[in-house]
Amino acid sequence: MNWWLKLRRRRQLERDLVDETAFHRQMRSQDPDSPPFGNETLIRERMRELWIFEWLESAIADVVFALRGWGKNSAFAGTIVASLALAIGAVLAIFTAADDLLFRPLPYGDPSNLVMLWETNRKSSGTERNAVSPDNFLAWKARNSTFEDMAYVDEGQSVFSDGNRSVELHVQRVPPGFFDLLKVQPYLGSLDNAFDSNRDSESDVVISYRLWRDWFGGDPQVIGRSVQLDSFPRTVSGIMPPEFSFGDREVDLWPYMKIYPSEAHDRGARSMKVVARLNQGVGLGQARAQMKAVALQLERENASFNKNWTVTVEPLREAFTQRVKTSLLLLLASVSLLLVVACANAANLMLARFCARRPEMAIRAALGAGRWRLTRQLLTESLLLAGCAGVAGLAFGRYALLGLLAIAPKSLTQTAEVSIDWRIVVFAIGVSAATGVLFGLVPSLIGAVTSSDVDAKSLTGWRTLSSRSPRAWLIAAEVAVSVVLLAGGSLLFRSLVKLQHVDSGLTARNILTFHFRVMSPHDVVRFSQTMAGIRKLPGVRSVSATSFLPFDGAASATTVAIRGRAEVQPGQARSVMVRTIMPGYFQTIGIPILRGREFNDDDNLPQAPMRFIVNEAFARAYLPGEDSLTQSIVVAMARTNPPGEIVGVVGDVKEGSLDKAPVPTVYYVYSHMPYGQMTLIVRTERDPMALVTSVRLVMRELDPKLAMANIQTMEDILSSTFARERFLALLLGGFSISAVLLAATGIYGILAYSVSLRGQEMGIRQAVGADAGRIVRMVLAEAAWFVAAGLITGMVVAFGLTRLLTNLLFETPPNDPLAFTLAPAILLIVALIAAYIPARRAALSDPIRALRFE
Amino acid sequence: MGKKSRGDLIQGTLDMLILRTIDRGSMHGYAIALAVERRSDDELRVEEGALYPALHRLELAGFLKSEWKLSEANRRAKFYQLTTAGRKHLAAESANWNRLVKAVARVMEAV
Repeated sequence: MNWWLKLRRRRQLERDLVDETAFHRQMRSQDPDSPPFGNETLIRERMRELWIFEWLESAIADVVFALRGWGKNSAFAGTIVASLALAIGAVLAIFTAADDLLFRPLPYGDPSNLVMLWETNRKSSGTERNAVSPDNFLAWKARNSTFEDMAYVDEGQSVFSDGNRSVELHVQRVPPGFFDLLKVQPYLGSLDNAFDSNRDSESDVVISYRLWRDWFGGDPQVIGRSVQLDSFPRTVSGIMPPEFSFGDREVDLWPYMKIYPSEAHDRGARSMKVVARLNQGVGLGQARAQMKAVALQLERENASFNKNWTVTVEPLREAFTQRVKTSLLLLLASVSLLLVVACANAANLMLARFCARRPEMAIRAALGAGRWRLTRQLLTESLLLAGCAGVAGLAFGRYALLGLLAIAPKSLTQTAEVSIDWRIVVFAIGVSAATGVLFGLVPSLIGAVTSSDVDAKSLTGWRTLSSRSPRAWLIAAEVAVSVVLLAGGSLLFRSLVKLQHVDSGLTARNILTFHFRVMSPHDVVRFSQTMAGIRKLPGVRSVSATSFLPFDGAASATTVAIRGRAEVQPGQARSVMVRTIMPGYFQTIGIPILRGREFNDDDNLPQAPMRFIVNEAFARAYLPGEDSLTQSIVVAMARTNPPGEIVGVVGDVKEGSLDKAPVPTVYYVYSHMPYGQMTLIVRTERDPMALVTSVRLVMRELDPKLAMANIQTMEDILSSTFARERFLALLLGGFSISAVLLAATGIYGILAYSVSLRGQEMGIRQAVGADAGRIVRMVLAEAAWFVAAGLITGMVVAFGLTRLLTNLLFETPPNDPLAFTLAPAILLIVALIAAYIPARRAALSDPIRALRFE
Repeated sequence: MGKKSRGDLIQGTLDMLILRTIDRGSMHGYAIALAVERRSDDELRVEEGALYPALHRLELAGFLKSEWKLSEANRRAKFYQLTTAGRKHLAAESANWNRLVKAVARVMEAV
């Protein structure tokens, strides 16, 4: 109510002032000696400034004025708002995606003291973040003095069951004390925090908030309930809060698992992640130095296992973000560039409008408006637009984020909790305000707003567009940034296309895959029954299974010895990947058999002699120039490893992802090296996903409790290996196309404006005989210099910047000539079209009309 | 900077002159201007552009109060009058002013 009283009082004051000065003037006029009365408007202005609501009132006046102005130029305002909203929305979406991983504090207590420890082989690249062996973990934990505590995380999948339903879930087996190390509290229940406690916490399991909500319906009575994990009974002892995860958001279960020194050695292989908390005041360097020393001791003590292995200590956040950090930073940088282009475009449009409003500004300046007052008016207008754009951008950003997550690689969605919260809204407000200030200040910064240029010329508007006008520079900048984005986008696309054409080594089309637990003899029977059942289904060509699918995460690895060869030196062992397969695997998955034969059902009998199949990389690396089929090998997988003859050599399949070279691989037949979990592969006639229902039916008939987990087609698995590349290429492509379109509207705008101002000149030119072609050329030439300037600058900058992409590119040099031809070519074509439209209009205009005008 | 400090001096002085002029009773703006001019033997001229903002500022500060009355010429005019706060302010300002004048005089004489 107060403001209303003030406003009423304000009117009263205004009336009083008029009366008062009128009185004064009259008295003066009766006095013959007195000088004429001063500037009454000025007095009134000064008085108004005294009144406290002056600033507010002028701000409201500015806003009202701005609204009226934009209302009259709604197309113009709409263009600015739309282009800014798109850019702001894109920035928000990317920032939101990056926020959790790069900026938000990790959901643990004192996260800055947390580190990951990895084993690293000095002689072998790609092992910077190798998993840790239980043996070495125990030694590290016992021998260091720099860490407060250390814990392992053993990741995998387990079948979870409450007796009625079962499902396969991601688990992280952790020691008691793991949660204490992270300094996190449970949402409900309790966490076992002492490794040496008497309580038998190995029968306890901590579950995720998601599992609690979805499976148990959020029932608080779930604490203490009995469940089954891989057929072993466990008790639910705690529920983690919703935001808790440790590097993998898909994990739903944290069963406790203790590793005792007595059994650590048998567990052998490097398979665990290790997290540790630094002692207060201990630096990373100190911890690294000590861990290196410990690793050297271990290398001496157990040379056969630890030769060349050392320790890498890495801050936790870096460990979590390493896979996506470069991509996210690249996206953040490029989306910011897009915003810069949108800002430049908005500034350009503002400037155009400002030029048209010069008479208005000149009059206002003449009436006493200061430079700051005019600038403030312009700022109000631009902030208003930016505000609208911010709101629209936030709305658009939400959808953009959904789209983004839909195409995002798993490495991003798995680690990051992506959500829009108040911080993002604050960020949006900040970005919009900064944008508004940026493009609102440009006209005054470049000196367009000065009260001194009140002259006849400006009162009638600008007649000529200097080719060196600030607007041209803005467009040159837009062009330059667009070229940089285009160059980056083309490089990533080139790289993606190359990746897509890599021969994977198998025939991925029409293959359905899913996981199958084979933990007990009972399971084994079900396993073969399931395979037989599926084989009989219509539309199925063949069925087989493997321990680990190519391109789908981990696989076992070990060393191999060739019979009749000398033992190799420690650290130079022949390493191989190991896969267990069912007969018919190669035919089903489409890997060619080069020599020898595939496993048959007889090989799969337990009493059959050990036989192996190797891939070509194996033959090339370890048996060069020899007939592999006559050799016997010993593979160090179990306690006793009988030698077996090689019965076949098959084609190579890339390991892990398409951009890596194939690795020597040994194939076991199932009965000689059974795994607790197998992946079934079904080759189908048509769309493999259409078969899921009938496969599930087959399994349900055998045993209602059989779970069909991780259903994927081989094609999906393959394409997810270059999901990151596709994600980056799509986004950068989108950004660069948006930038180019913005630059094109800028070029179009400036030329259309110039042509409209030069209507008279064009008319005269045409009247004295210039033909249409000549005028088109003339207008195009006007655009040529700033497009060229932007193009050249952009190319030079891109040449320097694309080096940063080297690590993201596959078989594409960062200065790939094709990409560097494509980028300017696209831009030139778009620029030419944008310039041609106004040029054409100028050429087709009626000279008589142009001459008559004014 | 120089411009601003000179303005402040004039402004402050004008405020004091106004307060002193209406010390004896309520007056309207024109009368205040005339009184200042006459008493200073036309050495000081009060600009309208400075006078009215100063009056309103003093009123907002609570040193003056105003009311509309009929003037000598039987016309409606706004008459200003000192408040208690204004009287105190005037006393303080006068004391300051006298000190300042004496100080300046001493400096000028000493040279």
